[in-house]
Amino acid sequence: MSKVKISILVLSCLCIFFFSLFLTPSVMNPFTLNTLDRDILVSIRLPRLLVAALMGIALGASGAVLQGLLKNPLADPYILGISSGASLSAAMGLVSGIYLFGQFSIPFTAFAGAAVASLMVGAFGWKGGRLLPERLLLAGVGMSFLFYAALMLLISISTHEGMRRAVLWIFGDLSMADWSLIPWGVLFIVAGLGISLSRARALNALMLGDELAHSLGFSVHRERLLLFTSIALMTSASVSLGGTIGFIGLLMPHIVRFMLGSDNRILIPVSALCGGAFLCIADTVGKSVLSPVEIPSGIVTAIIGSPYFLYLLRKKDVLGQ
Amino acid sequence: MRKARVVLSLAVLILFSVVSSSIAETPGRIISLAPNLTEILFEMGLGSRIVGVTQFCDYPAEAKKKPKVGGMSNPSPEAVVTLKPDLVLMTTDGNPKEFGERFRKLGVKTYLFRAQRLSELPHEIRKLGMALDAKREADALAGRIENTLKKLRDRKIAKPQKVLFIVWPEPLIVAGPDTAIDDSIKLFGHTNIAAGTGISYPKYSLEEIIRQSPDAIFIGMGHAEIKEISQGLLRKLGNVPAVRNHRVFFLSDNLYRLGPRIIKGIQEMAECLK
Amino acid sequence: MSLVSKHTILEIGNIVFKYSGHMPLIRNLSFSVSEGEFIGLLGPNGSGKSTLLKLAGGILKPSEGRVRLWGKDLQSVPNKDRAKLLCYLPQLLDIGVPFRVKEIVSMGFYPYDILPKMSVDEALDMVGLRDKAESYITHLSGGERRRAFIAMTLLQGAGLLLLDEPLANLDIKYQLEIFRLLRYLRKEKNISIIMALHDINIALQFEKVILMKDGDILCFGSPEDVLTTSLLREAFDVNIEISKQESGEAYISYGHDI
Repeated sequence: MSKVKISILVLSCLCIFFFSLFLTPSVMNPFTLNTLDRDILVSIRLPRLLVAALMGIALGASGAVLQGLLKNPLADPYILGISSGASLSAAMGLVSGIYLFGQFSIPFTAFAGAAVASLMVGAFGWKGGRLLPERLLLAGVGMSFLFYAALMLLISISTHEGMRRAVLWIFGDLSMADWSLIPWGVLFIVAGLGISLSRARALNALMLGDELAHSLGFSVHRERLLLFTSIALMTSASVSLGGTIGFIGLLMPHIVRFMLGSDNRILIPVSALCGGAFLCIADTVGKSVLSPVEIPSGIVTAIIGSPYFLYLLRKKDVLGQ
Repeated sequence: MRKARVVLSLAVLILFSVVSSSIAETPGRIISLAPNLTEILFEMGLGSRIVGVTQFCDYPAEAKKKPKVGGMSNPSPEAVVTLKPDLVLMTTDGNPKEFGERFRKLGVKTYLFRAQRLSELPHEIRKLGMALDAKREADALAGRIENTLKKLRDRKIAKPQKVLFIVWPEPLIVAGPDTAIDDSIKLFGHTNIAAGTGISYPKYSLEEIIRQSPDAIFIGMGHAEIKEISQGLLRKLGNVPAVRNHRVFFLSDNLYRLGPRIIKGIQEMAECLK
Repeated sequence: MSLVSKHTILEIGNIVFKYSGHMPLIRNLSFSVSEGEFIGLLGPNGSGKSTLLKLAGGILKPSEGRVRLWGKDLQSVPNKDRAKLLCYLPQLLDIGVPFRVKEIVSMGFYPYDILPKMSVDEALDMVGLRDKAESYITHLSGGERRRAFIAMTLLQGAGLLLLDEPLANLDIKYQLEIFRLLRYLRKEKNISIIMALHDINIALQFEKVILMKDGDILCFGSPEDVLTTSLLREAFDVNIEISKQESGEAYISYGHDI
């Protein structure tokens, strides 16, 4: 039964990829491509689609892992302060005019910010040689507020014309997707996904409680550290690829849990797949409804995502109550 | 008799109040809440009357020495009131409306400058001149702008070109319709490829730029490092005629200021499009 | 001295446990468990029953002394190998996550790379939960939930079960059900069981009872030897009479304390 469901999922993902590649914002016949079309396809649509898929995969997977790690079904990877750290760092880069890395500057400063934020949140969540989920969550919330406030301070005191534009980046922007960043994105996201998939059993056991996880033969604190690392890797890479895209990390694991249950060995890969597909859809919608004007993908996911989130909130079943 | 004295004193009182209010109509202490207004005032020779500006008012050099009252969208009412202005100049292009109401409640007079388009500029400058009791100076400035625009408009162009004005490269924000930049492009008979979007500063599709293949691309100086920031974008647009033929131009911020300087900006643009 | 010397599987030697800067919770305590033994761990609240079980399960490390499992130092046994030998179930099994019963049970396979012979269905049959395989653990009653986790330990194949208050907060019917199940498993699969409990009447049903007080063992032996009026008074500070029915069945009465 669940094999049928999984193949339906994979098939619909392929359809979505095809649809956003060839049909939006304008239709292209894949068999009769002229030079212009091919140029657009290869240098714009394909990298953009790949970045959307990568970001969605990273967010879907890290959302599933984080919800398991914190045993909190309403946790979003951004709650750890990684994205606000990245946004702040990128904005600081813009203001201070550090352009050491040319066109890589924004992604690079964002990744540096995300990495530093993860380490700081990890350090605050660390006590007595172990990573404590409750501390981690509170540290993340605290850090988010701090980073966000600093970012707003920067925006409100800055006289740069560009700063206000940069705020748009924070809402998630895939339009600048570029081949040059994709190998790095693949590297970090595959590494993170690999760790989380190999630790899926441990995550299942951790969700039963530390004592049972220990009894089942897992080294609780080591597993938790590995899982946190996987979240940090995937979230940081995704933020630096295209900014903050809301709700995928929160939404996807829930839809998948509805369909296929809570087993993380299925939940993590399928959330990743659905996250990728959903972001491709959102980006396709964002670039086609008002074409040639584009709506940032982060806004589209939030517009689709928020009502669903509220619906979930009303329907208490998802919390297992 | 007694009645006559009352009427007389009343008349004197009225006369006095009329005279005093007409004296107050020459505002001596002005706060400008927009950089283009600051520039217009200095150009009209009223710089000495300015007692406060925003943190964005960086031109001419003397403007930077004036006391700051905050940003365009968030001026501090307290700073404004403390400076005891006779008049606060606001623009429809960047100052939130609520601030006008707020200042009036605090007993501060405001004047709203309504020009957002190139064609509205001379008329609005004249109106401003009336309000500031500087009709002659305003007429002179407005006339100068009108003459230059007329000369530019009459200039023959060899061939209309497709033009794109980029305000910020990542994410890609361009100048759309109903903007002074759009007006400047059209002044010479060129077309702004983003004119059909219906949004003043839309986030534009990269793919659409390639399809529209503009002949010239302008990038506004929104950041000291704008050339670096634009590298990635221009690389992706490598096959667009504008990029292929090295017709990508970085413009100064002259075009962003709807005041005396916009003329210089338009001239810069005209030079590039020759 | 029993004539047939059974294999010793758990040996606790002179262990002390304390959190730094606090009074010790376990003071210099020793005992050992042989194969197939069914031991009740009795004692008042705070006497150290849970701490002792966690020390035996390797969840806590003793401050002094050592725990030996099948002759090996527990701390030196790799996590996965330990999981195949012993299994600890905490008192609270309030799982907030909507796992299905069969998913929980199959987690018993986690320490293994090659699946052992027993299947999830067989384990569910043994605990009588076959019809609940697809149910969510969150929808089960306390007794059913306890049985689901016992089924998990069966797949885990551990020879030693450490159960912290498995009968707490259950109706008497479910208490008996769990107790019967454990006794049956011990007989069928020769599993050794140590379980913490509160009820002296149920303690009477064990072969061996450990009576604890203030982090130490007051007495370890058969119920007849351990559950005496004087020892129980020392442990619980109440007067309890142990009487025997004509059938030989022992029962307790509270004398003048009630």
